[in-house]
Amino acid sequence: MRKLMGKIPAGRRGLVGYTAALGSVTAVSLFIGFILWQVNIANASMLYLLAVMATAVAFGRGPAIFASVLAFLVFDCFFVEPLHQLTVSDPEEWVSLLFFLLTATVTGQLAAAQRQRAQEARQREREAVVLYDVVRLLGGNDVDQALEAVAERVRSELQIPGLVIELWQPEGGARRFKAGRVPPTVSAYRNSSAAVRILQSGPPTDSRDHAQTGRWVRIVRPTHGAGALEHVHLVPIRVDDRRLGALLLVDPDGHFDMSEDRLVSLAAAQIGIAVDRARLRKEATEAEILRRTDELRRALLNAVSHDLRTPLATIMASASSLRQNDVVWTEDERQGFAQAIEQEAERLNRLVGNLLDLSRIEAGSLRPQKSWQDVEALVDDTVDRLRTVTARHNFQLEMQKDLPPVWLDPVEIGQVIYNLVENATKYVPPESDITLEVRRQGGVLAFTVSDRGPGIPSQSIPHLFDPFYRVMDGRPRPHGLGLGLAIVKGLVEAHGGRVWVENRPGGGAQFTFTVPLAAAASATTTPAQATVV
Amino acid sequence: MSQQSGARILVVDDEPGILRAVQTNLGRHDFRVETASTGREALEAYARVRPDLVLLDLGLPDMDGLDIIRAIRERANTPIVVLSSREAERDKVTALDLGADDYVTKPFGINELLARVRVAMRHAAHPDSGTEPVMRFDDLVVDLERRRVVVGGNEVRLTPTEWDLVKLLTSHPDKVLTDRMITEAVWGASYAAQAHSLHVYVARLRKKLDTGDAARRRILTEPGVGYRLVTD
Repeated sequence: MRKLMGKIPAGRRGLVGYTAALGSVTAVSLFIGFILWQVNIANASMLYLLAVMATAVAFGRGPAIFASVLAFLVFDCFFVEPLHQLTVSDPEEWVSLLFFLLTATVTGQLAAAQRQRAQEARQREREAVVLYDVVRLLGGNDVDQALEAVAERVRSELQIPGLVIELWQPEGGARRFKAGRVPPTVSAYRNSSAAVRILQSGPPTDSRDHAQTGRWVRIVRPTHGAGALEHVHLVPIRVDDRRLGALLLVDPDGHFDMSEDRLVSLAAAQIGIAVDRARLRKEATEAEILRRTDELRRALLNAVSHDLRTPLATIMASASSLRQNDVVWTEDERQGFAQAIEQEAERLNRLVGNLLDLSRIEAGSLRPQKSWQDVEALVDDTVDRLRTVTARHNFQLEMQKDLPPVWLDPVEIGQVIYNLVENATKYVPPESDITLEVRRQGGVLAFTVSDRGPGIPSQSIPHLFDPFYRVMDGRPRPHGLGLGLAIVKGLVEAHGGRVWVENRPGGGAQFTFTVPLAAAASATTTPAQATVV
Repeated sequence: MSQQSGARILVVDDEPGILRAVQTNLGRHDFRVETASTGREALEAYARVRPDLVLLDLGLPDMDGLDIIRAIRERANTPIVVLSSREAERDKVTALDLGADDYVTKPFGINELLARVRVAMRHAAHPDSGTEPVMRFDDLVVDLERRRVVVGGNEVRLTPTEWDLVKLLTSHPDKVLTDRMITEAVWGASYAAQAHSLHVYVARLRKKLDTGDAARRRILTEPGVGYRLVTD
């Protein structure tokens, strides 16, 4: 019934009830007239009870009372002697008429009350179903998506053309989730109208009563001239006493009953809770990220300062030894101190260089200075620099003959080879084999560094090339910051190559990186590149 | 100096450069030096040579340096000087609380290290230095029997707590005492409850003992660690 009546405005709906009451009483009167004309039966007035009951069921209390009184008057006027007068000659008739009026009123009341209860039950059920849907939709993790669905759900329930959920952002502006047809001017946020002031400062009445939170406003659509009006129902969305936004119901007819008002207010309250919860969740996540970032930064700072200070400790101890004036050092001892200072200064320089390389890689400002390079000379040169690093290991070089010249930055690729071999020496036991192999593989030049060390735990492989990542598996932590492999990756990728690691059958790790030979071909066809880089 | 000749020192550090520099220097100052670069080697060398002093880096690759202090203290009172990096501030205090005698922060100059080694050796040689009836440190005289303190010829009046503090500091000259050690010895109370009063008492005591010359402060603050009574 409610659905049928849904779009008939309340005032007109009342009028319909009274008209129907009038109509049904008239119809029953004609019927009684017809019967009494044929036969004389007692208590024909009871037929009016049918009309009263039908009116009560269909239109409620008011029209039912109206029908009772009307039936009483009509019956008295037309069927009780003297006719066409409201007076009654027979006192017995008085009793019977009054009895009729009482019966009709009570019947009407009972039927109307029944009707109202049924109607309320339907409304409650509807509210429950809609709220359940709203809560279910808002229960998901993606609040934005949920709000779209909620807007559509509430809009279709209310059978209105458009609905907007508007959430005000703390930094200003508003986010809108629309359903149906929404005129572009509909916004509680942008309009500094009375409605917005009410929404933002609160209505003068008790703002905690959800049933009273809706406000009617008229928003003028400037594009359609001053005469065009859009009815918008504003329902604030709030949690505790904070206002988070509004539900805007676009409805040209602009009528909602109490039940719908309550429904919308409850939906708004649910939306408020969900949005607030999402905000809290987001804040908690952000706080957690901040905490972890902070933790990482502290760990990083500790690692960096430790690794920078360690060589400094040797330098300082050696230099202050040389300055001792109560000791006369032998030439060998002096050389020893000087060498330590030199070595540690070099180590420090490498560390600083690595940090700078990494920051350049991360900033994306790496510009390889490429030129045609003889691979053999490059590798020999690097192996030479590696001599002290590999002194305690059995280092072997296997190089394919007649490799073509390659278009690359010799310093950077030399650095890549250096880092990979140095990395191997840190993790494998002294005297064990470390092999550097260089060969052509189709369109690329492949460099492979293999060892017979402990290999790499499989869970570490995906992170191995991350900056500051260290394999933690209970083994003693080697020196260094965990930058070497991250730099390798950055430099190789800047050359259009690839780097990966795998565990060798029979034990040990094997790092391979490639440099494309094809890049050289393209470089020859476009010599401009050579001067640009 | 004479009592140090031939003394055996165990140097534990995983940095070969440091190890070499320290070894060369100590060797030149007539110490017999044993080195170790891991915790395991250190404990093994300790058991083998029974050194007169241990120079110990806390950041070892295989063991926590603090565990080595515990292991040594279970057996003997061998003086331990900790080599620590600035990042290990907390470890440094823990090391002293566990019974280490002193610490040197990396990077350090060799002279500083040698000075700390000498002080630690001296105290090891005279473990009862704090029980002599009258102690003289330059112009500071502390008479334990008569409970008198004289600074520059003038007697100084001390409260009982101040007296306890002076007694504790003078019985460990040149040694760092952590806040915890001092509060527990003087108040017999937990460190947390007394940390603040300690700083207040030390400040008051300084006013009474110092001559106003900042370069000649008697009680030195070791930031974040504790206090040290300076004798020379």
